[in-house]
Amino acid sequence: MIPKIRNQFPIFQKRGLKPLAYLDNAATTQKPATVIEAMDKFYRSQNAPVHRGVYALAEGATAAYEKVRDQVKEFVNAKHREEIIFTSGATESINVVVAGLSEAFLKRGDRILLSDMEHHAMIVPWQAAARLQVSTIDRSTARKKLKLDFVPLNSEGRIDIGAFKKLLAKHKPKFVGVTHVSNVLGTENPVREMISLAHKAGALVLVDAAQSIAHGAVDVQALGCDFLAFSGHKMYGPTGIGVLYGKKELLEKLPPHKFGGHMIAEVTRTKTTYAPLPEKFEGGTPPVAEVIGLGAAISFLQSIGLNNIAKYEGSLTAYALRALKNVPGLALLGPATTKARAPIFSFTIKGIHAHDIATLLDREGIAVRAGHHCAQILHESLSLDASVRASLCIYNTAEEVDRLVSALVTIQRKFQ
Amino acid sequence: MDNNDIYREEIMEHYRNPQNFGVMKNPTYEAEAVNPLCGDKIRLQLKVNKKGVVEKVRFSGSGCALSVASSSQFTEWMVGKTVKKLKSTGPDQIQELMRAKIGPARLPCMLLSLYALQKAVAGE
Repeated sequence: MIPKIRNQFPIFQKRGLKPLAYLDNAATTQKPATVIEAMDKFYRSQNAPVHRGVYALAEGATAAYEKVRDQVKEFVNAKHREEIIFTSGATESINVVVAGLSEAFLKRGDRILLSDMEHHAMIVPWQAAARLQVSTIDRSTARKKLKLDFVPLNSEGRIDIGAFKKLLAKHKPKFVGVTHVSNVLGTENPVREMISLAHKAGALVLVDAAQSIAHGAVDVQALGCDFLAFSGHKMYGPTGIGVLYGKKELLEKLPPHKFGGHMIAEVTRTKTTYAPLPEKFEGGTPPVAEVIGLGAAISFLQSIGLNNIAKYEGSLTAYALRALKNVPGLALLGPATTKARAPIFSFTIKGIHAHDIATLLDREGIAVRAGHHCAQILHESLSLDASVRASLCIYNTAEEVDRLVSALVTIQRKFQ
Repeated sequence: MDNNDIYREEIMEHYRNPQNFGVMKNPTYEAEAVNPLCGDKIRLQLKVNKKGVVEKVRFSGSGCALSVASSSQFTEWMVGKTVKKLKSTGPDQIQELMRAKIGPARLPCMLLSLYALQKAVAGE
């Protein structure tokens, strides 16, 4: 099954002594030919502005664009199609929610609960909003002070659910932001349980699904989340496109963040009324080709089957966890077992800097990430400056894991 | 192995046993530089005599093999040079000492001690 999948990716067609072992999939995945061709075909034969043209070409483009919204709705099992908002990526999706909530829902002194394993995309918007937003509720023009709290992790690299419950009870946060899967530890969080607990405590919940969306079925109704964010480029689709899912009744109340064409119902010299969902949040000409590419990426995922992907990646995780034990001095961050764990392996090797490891692996044709992976708070809590991260997905193989391990053993010897 | 390899044995030796590594009291000049890529920090100290000639150099901090080995070689080179000479020193000097071609992503690692030097003698 895997060679057949791998063959669909043009980037892996180049053969040589050191073929590309691409292990940086948590940053961005490679693109199958169907995604590249769908975008190419759109530009060659279907390109037109969406939503406004009355000619056939524009109607075709609009239909293709809106068809992907239906596809995404089915993909995440949303209740209504207008609950699917196209954004530029998970970062923008999170920013829409943070800006909208802090403008129209939150008051001075309200608390926000995040976790220690959040990506900067979840932390930084809240830090900015906590200091700067002006409230339309209490009309204060002073700087709004929201308080941010962080749920700690246990020694295994999982969210401490006991501490989460205590923080909910103690601070009664208005909002909980949590990642579905950690982009560093690979931990899959029990988001369904956390959402239920948060709702009982009166908080809205945003799930960052950037690292989970391409690795198993995500069902927003089963999860019960209020908002969910993900990016196209981490699920075999193009860059520049992402999705914000939000419950209809919440999105209707949430103010827009981007103002301009298309998101309006009526504009006069004195006043503008906004368009209904989803247009309200899609001001300006959208990235139509990227949306088409996202549709092709979803079709690619569905052609394999999300459950098959989860099963294969689970076996790859088990293999990698065993194999990495053969590298002397290697310390793995995150859970050592396959239970609720994605194929993301961040590690340090005693006495060797992460960037040296990444440069030396690159010479063997192995692409990994080195640094703090946009999770500086997590690295600080682990008393680390940087780590190396190998993140796998559906086209990776046990053979590539072997190449990684053997290269790491050689590097370790070189530095002794 | 390639003579211009950045991880050749000669450079690894500087990494394992860096020269001029440590901290001195009462330096004439000192500065810190941070590598924005990874947050590695280096502290560079210089002792200069009345004639403006560098007598002693120390560097400290943690870093990757490239930053440590280049700091080791570069600080060895600094001893005996005038401050005037150091002020006009650029990236080419470290490239020459390291005899290594390096891509843009890792260049800041190799130039970390130069950044610290430029800060240290900037006011002069």
